[in-house]
Amino acid sequence: MISRRALELATAILTGSFGAAVVVSSLDNGIGWSSAGVDAGTFPFLTGIIIVLGSLYNLVRGVLPAASLANVRIAITPLELRRLAGLFVPAAIFVAAIPLLGMYLASAGYVFAVLAIPRHQSVPRALAMSAATALALYVVFERMFQVSLPHGALAAALGF
Amino acid sequence: MDNLQELLHGFTIAVTVPHLVLMAVGVLLGILVGVLPGLGAPNGVSLLLPLTFGMQPVSAIILLSSMYWGALFGGSVTSILFNIPGEPSSVATTFDGYPMARDGRPTTALATAFGSAAFGALIGVILITFLASWVAQVALAFGPPEYFAVYFLAFASFVGMGGAAPIKTVVALAIGFAIAAIGIDTVSGSVRLTMGVDELVKGVSFVVAVMGLFGIGELLVAVEEEFHARAVSSKIDWREVFRAVGRLPRHSVALLRSAAIGCWMGITPGGPTAASFMSYGIARRFSRRGRYFGTGEVEGIISPETADHAAGTSALLPMLSLGIPGSATAAVMMGGLMIWGLNPGPMLFVDQKDFVWGLIASMYVGNIVAVALVLLTVPVFAALMRIPFVVIAPLIVIICVVGAYSVSNSYLDVVMMLGFGIVGYLFKKLFYPLAPLVLAIVIGDKAEDAFRQSMLLSKGSLGIFFANKLVTCLIVGGIALLLLPLALQLARLLRKPAPSANETTVQEKVII
Repeated sequence: MISRRALELATAILTGSFGAAVVVSSLDNGIGWSSAGVDAGTFPFLTGIIIVLGSLYNLVRGVLPAASLANVRIAITPLELRRLAGLFVPAAIFVAAIPLLGMYLASAGYVFAVLAIPRHQSVPRALAMSAATALALYVVFERMFQVSLPHGALAAALGF
Repeated sequence: MDNLQELLHGFTIAVTVPHLVLMAVGVLLGILVGVLPGLGAPNGVSLLLPLTFGMQPVSAIILLSSMYWGALFGGSVTSILFNIPGEPSSVATTFDGYPMARDGRPTTALATAFGSAAFGALIGVILITFLASWVAQVALAFGPPEYFAVYFLAFASFVGMGGAAPIKTVVALAIGFAIAAIGIDTVSGSVRLTMGVDELVKGVSFVVAVMGLFGIGELLVAVEEEFHARAVSSKIDWREVFRAVGRLPRHSVALLRSAAIGCWMGITPGGPTAASFMSYGIARRFSRRGRYFGTGEVEGIISPETADHAAGTSALLPMLSLGIPGSATAAVMMGGLMIWGLNPGPMLFVDQKDFVWGLIASMYVGNIVAVALVLLTVPVFAALMRIPFVVIAPLIVIICVVGAYSVSNSYLDVVMMLGFGIVGYLFKKLFYPLAPLVLAIVIGDKAEDAFRQSMLLSKGSLGIFFANKLVTCLIVGGIALLLLPLALQLARLLRKPAPSANETTVQEKVII
């Protein structure tokens, strides 16, 4: 179970650290005024500061017990968390597999795994759907619009 | 009268067989992305972008804008039939649309929604027809300070009127600016904010952000709740369609009021979502049957739908005449314009008359095509909703991955897209607004350039933003909008010392 407070906290820290990274990184480009006008780092520096300050405010507001946001106790229930993971984890594995397997094999495997392993569809139907997905991608992108999708290290090793 | 002549010329461009076919294709694709949860108008339009590079700009924009109309209509279909808003801007339509459909009047609900939506869109297009070229003419005299002031006003109005928590809006905007700054700085040529990753020198495309924020993010939100696609009957009774549309003039006050709210929110970038909620809220307060709202009231459908489409349409006015998109989808289209080599802004009305007036004329025709097609295809798309979500979800993930990859054939973009997906989920869950973020990514560079050019003009003095009446008005207006939430908060505190916690949660539900 994840509370609303924890979620607010995590998000504020996420945005705040992005802001801090922007501030630090923009210092390299110089902030302030030089002979060429406003330095390249100035604008990002200011936005970084705004992000950090805003995140701090959101952090305090999200965490303070008096703040109304803390009233919503549960943001994500365990069941919802499982559903989220059920969507996101396979998607992340799919993306991670693209450099090795290439877009076509990875997407076919992804569709098959998501449909067949939790038994949403029978194995033959899942196989048919995954093959259709890869074929559709190939026809639409490689053939119709001449956009080359990654073929993967495996295909390269096999000489495609 | 000049405008009408230009418009007639535009019709000769828009009403040709290839363009009508493009409109039909665009509308159908739009309804598809509008109906599917997890795919929305911003995604759909950015997915189509790479496919338009070989087209004439006017054909490309007709395809993309038709998709936008289709998505706006498609979102309402699922809201009414399934109680699942296909688009954030059609959430308010579920309040009365679904109860009415459940009571056995789905045709009435759909026809009322489409009729009022078409009316809203019509008012929006008429506004564009008569106002856009005038605004562009005024804007021709703008220098960098004026431009920066207009950008500032646009961003401030998100904070002041967007409806989300003001500081969260500010953070979302600033993050968008920072993302826009990644890569090569257009003024000095130096590389910024790459944090040591060489591939980031090319910058982060807004398409990658849109795919993640709206695509994966929305999918994650959708998967949380199990889908009960318990559809009411989706059969269309054609006689009832005409009867329901015939009854619309009785609600002319609600129609006009909602259209006005929508146009206002579209031009000052509040966006269609905020417009539809605001319109629904105002209608509930002022309607004589206000207490029946939520049980299937006709005006409860008319108000959000009219405002939604009026805002969606008029969001293109500032995009065309000033180069400031009024909604997330308009921002994506503007990104497209820049890729096609057009410079959105007042010069369009001088250099690219065919493009501008072809687009405006196509809006009239496109909306008619959209109404006709959406009515004809309701049963088809309703059947699509019966496909289990577990089958649709991986397909949408693949579409987003391929979409992000094809922007610049970069694997890093795909990984970043997934990261944006998590951010999009968190932001949606915690009511951070996403539209300002996308808007800032698209026009952040331009706003920064305007600021730096003004500073060069004034040799570093901020006084240039108060140098003449126009620029002062814009800046002061922007500051006023920024302070508006603070003023409202103070007023509320003065009236009653302890604001009830309940109120905020109810408000949040309404914002999204």
